[in-house]
Amino acid sequence: MRVLIVDDEKLARDRLRELLSDIGGYDVIGEAMNGNEAVEKTAELNPDTLLMDIRMPGMDGLEAAMHLMGMEAPPSVIFTTAYDQHALDAFEVNAVDYLLKPIRRDRLANALTKAQKLTARQLQEVNQARQDPPARTHISVHLRGNIRLVPLPEVIFFLADSKYVAVRTAAEEHLIEDSLVNLEREFADRFLRIHRNALVSAAHIKGIEKSPSGTWQVNLKGIDKRLDVSRRHAASVRRWARNRPNPA
Amino acid sequence: MELLNKEAMREWVRSAARQLDHDTVFSRADVEGEILPNFCEGRTIFSVAIVAQMLAILITLVTRRISLNLFHDLLLISLFVQWIGLASAGVLCVSRKYLNRLNNLRAFGMAYLLLLCVTWLVSESAVWLLFGFGKINTPRPEWYNYFHVQNICMSAIINALVLRYFFAKHELRVRTLSAERTKARAMLSRIRPQFVFSSMNIIASLTRSDPAKAEAAIEDMADLFRMMLSQDETLVPVKNEIEVAQKYLAIEGLRLDNRLRVDWDIGKFPRKAVMPVLTLQPLLENAIRHGIEPMTAGGVVIVRLWEHEDKIYIRIINPIPRTRAKRVEESHSMSLEDIRLRFQSHYGDTAKLEFGRQDEQYIVNVVLPTRKEPT
Repeated sequence: MRVLIVDDEKLARDRLRELLSDIGGYDVIGEAMNGNEAVEKTAELNPDTLLMDIRMPGMDGLEAAMHLMGMEAPPSVIFTTAYDQHALDAFEVNAVDYLLKPIRRDRLANALTKAQKLTARQLQEVNQARQDPPARTHISVHLRGNIRLVPLPEVIFFLADSKYVAVRTAAEEHLIEDSLVNLEREFADRFLRIHRNALVSAAHIKGIEKSPSGTWQVNLKGIDKRLDVSRRHAASVRRWARNRPNPA
Repeated sequence: MELLNKEAMREWVRSAARQLDHDTVFSRADVEGEILPNFCEGRTIFSVAIVAQMLAILITLVTRRISLNLFHDLLLISLFVQWIGLASAGVLCVSRKYLNRLNNLRAFGMAYLLLLCVTWLVSESAVWLLFGFGKINTPRPEWYNYFHVQNICMSAIINALVLRYFFAKHELRVRTLSAERTKARAMLSRIRPQFVFSSMNIIASLTRSDPAKAEAAIEDMADLFRMMLSQDETLVPVKNEIEVAQKYLAIEGLRLDNRLRVDWDIGKFPRKAVMPVLTLQPLLENAIRHGIEPMTAGGVVIVRLWEHEDKIYIRIINPIPRTRAKRVEESHSMSLEDIRLRFQSHYGDTAKLEFGRQDEQYIVNVVLPTRKEPT
């Protein structure tokens, strides 16, 4: 079985590696230091199982698992953690595999033999159980069965189509399956709704102008494109612009 | 065995978390006790009787001249005052459950009104009783109004004093309890489970790859735990505090590897300079937890320590991650408030703790008086 070890602490990764070689029959095909790397390496190396720490800098283990689920054949995931009370209770309730640090060999062996794939529902429940579920740091995009992570700060706007939502960065545009309502709720502190179908990154708004035809438009940093502000959102967008802390 | 162990550990973790959540677990009555004492208890009723008797003697002495009739008057007055006293206790006994459910102010207001009613009722009954026994020939004698006004006034004053006493007693109990709770919470929050279990995992790893390092780490942890578990809030030499902090940093350094870099600069200190035990370590723990751990590349924690004009200055600077900065800042300042409380208990208002964000850094400034150890 091919295993990918994900932990931000080097000695914790070493320990897992050693325990796996003690148990035998497992092939450690790589290591990752955060959720970001975990997703990239999974796409690249195609492991059967991930041993993944929950608390990691950048993208944490739960978010990484969420992105992985969008893959065509996602690996099974066993979480490791030193202490994370709310998450642990939720794992227990939703039968998600996890190991407590310090990790024991027989527990590890046991977990690996029955390691299972996660479902979206399981992860959602776990995330909700956390006191203050953090917003995603990345948006995952699926390209030809593979997965790509777009860091949230690079996203300039989300534009809803009939079925998909387009994610626009300075260089590219991707389609994701999500709803604008969900995205708006999750990223309320960074994105601004300007139209029924558009959610714009506040940091990327250069200014708000009136077009020759009399409608309001948002001028964006990074790309040469203007987006219409709908009549319904005009008042709230202009209010936001007036109270903006430092117009840059 | 395996199962037992896991269960035991989780139970420990849960009970620790429960302790931290004190307020939500226990209702107000459990923690603060009831506002009014239980007037159904023999002991309380006995004290009511004693107080009533003393009051009766006082009233007799004030209103009657010394004469042979004095004892006769005392008997009558005692009978009347005891009657009011015991009836009041009875009413409070019956209405106790209801009163304790109200908030403090309402409970006391309600009790006060009830007691005044009792006085009026007893006075009225006394008049009717005298009439019934033929001692007076009308239930409305000329002294009727005067009698009621007099009784209500006295009852108003006495009851106000008594309730004020209960209120003060209750306040005192609440304050003592909350002080103890703060202390217990401070004790518990010194040891972070995340740190304990991560470090143990790291040590388990080191026992194979580098037994000497593992040994040193266990020794450092033992010293650190000894300090954290110690009950006393004492002042220790600055040198000791720095040592403890360095042991803590050694363990975190193993865990975070090259992500944690510390830039120390320690000035000269008078040999007898002291500071509260575990001042530096929690400040550093905060800096690491909120500044270094969330950053993929880690960062530098800057520690400055110097003495100037009989004051100890501590400055700790850590980077803060750009994403989630606000959230991190909030929890950072929350743990710092705990430290502020500890400084207050040692120095009152003479210690200073300031913290805040400056661009992408979080800066904590501490000024402590160099209180010398008594020689």
